[in-house]
Amino acid sequence: MDAATEQRSDHALMLAVRDGELDALGELFERHHGPLFGFLVKLTGDHAAAEDIAQTVFQRMLKYRHTYRNDGSLTAWMYHLARRCAADHFRKANAAPYATDPEDLQAHADDSPHAAERAAVRDDHALLHTALGRLDRDDREVLLLARFQELSFAEVAGILECSVGAAKVRAHRALRELRDIYFQLQKETLP
Amino acid sequence: MNCQNAREIFPELLDHRTAATAHLEARTHLAGCPDCQREFSALSQTLAALDAMPNPAPTPRLRQNFYAMLEEEKNSAASVRAVAAREQHARRASLWRWVLSPAAAAALLALGYLAGIRSAPAPLPTTTDNSVALRNEVVDLRKKVEAMGQLVGYTALLQQQQLPANARLRGVLTSARQENPDQGGINDLIGSLLLDPSTNVRLRALDALYPHADQEVVRAGVLASLPREQNPLVQVHMIDFLAASRDPEAAAALEKLSVSETADSSVREAARRALTEL
Repeated sequence: MDAATEQRSDHALMLAVRDGELDALGELFERHHGPLFGFLVKLTGDHAAAEDIAQTVFQRMLKYRHTYRNDGSLTAWMYHLARRCAADHFRKANAAPYATDPEDLQAHADDSPHAAERAAVRDDHALLHTALGRLDRDDREVLLLARFQELSFAEVAGILECSVGAAKVRAHRALRELRDIYFQLQKETLP
Repeated sequence: MNCQNAREIFPELLDHRTAATAHLEARTHLAGCPDCQREFSALSQTLAALDAMPNPAPTPRLRQNFYAMLEEEKNSAASVRAVAAREQHARRASLWRWVLSPAAAAALLALGYLAGIRSAPAPLPTTTDNSVALRNEVVDLRKKVEAMGQLVGYTALLQQQQLPANARLRGVLTSARQENPDQGGINDLIGSLLLDPSTNVRLRALDALYPHADQEVVRAGVLASLPREQNPLVQVHMIDFLAASRDPEAAAALEKLSVSETADSSVREAARRALTEL
């Protein structure tokens, strides 16, 4: 990456892509594919699906580059596309969006005789992963977007197509819901 | 401040971006209320766990696929520029032909006019009725000519449809490669979107129209094609196009589709989503 590219903001790079400098999308990919993939993994609970969706997001950025606006925010636009791609994925899958079945965890916690498995179930990440899976998809989505530090609440509200106040209320309600499930799972998995 | 009021401030207190400026009274209440402290602590602990969740890395496949896609698009864009440059060169080469042809036509017209004046019999006295009748006749003739022109256009389009799908697809791709197609090229793309029996050709035509979404005639063409379209995939793409071009004229058609029982569920959902974006 040369110094000139390093100095260009996301917005400037996307404007360059829009104006025909397609290589600039490579730089945007390098900057954003990691956090985008992380968001999609947490949203879908499925690594393969998250990769497919991330790929589709960048495809659409290229395809719809003519619609990117001068006054836009690249991150907000990208996550707006990601949300729509994820919705398409869930519609196509037409199945439970989360790979981890919460019932499996219960079964493990109650029945597994192996200490290693019990330890894994008690692992905070695994518990939270399962708790996220039990949330409604809309709640999971708003919570993940709200905790995504690169987005302001105004941008989150823009992505969710609601007011800033409504986005904050929805995010907090989702957090309380997650807290209840998470703590309940902790109690259930105590030895 | 009571517990309920204090808890309404919790979202700001829990977000480090706003915690510093959050309500002082809420902080004071929190410091002295064990119930709120427990609630706050549980939420804070959940958020900490959420933030600490590791971000998994994608496999190398994602990067490989992305750069393959980017390369393909760049090649496509480069071939578009090459074709456009060749066509521009051809246009320049035939410039003289275009300059001389109208001049020759004008000269012939002038000659015909002079010959007509010399050889024509003396004009009969005209009446107002005669001139009205003549004007009506001219209007009728003009309408007939326009109708014939439209008929010729539709006939050409229908003849094109007798070609194999591959040939029609090539025609659409040729129009798509022109960076600044003339109105005829845009009309051909809209015609293909409206009438072509092949889903692939219609999708390609729609893709080719994207760069011209700022033209009213293009948006009107896509909007007119939407009610005729039966394939949900193309319908969803058309809806995305209308949403992306922010065409308020599309609202009525989208509302109708969003509640249509005969439309595919993906189409209804796309229409509802598009309505929120308009």
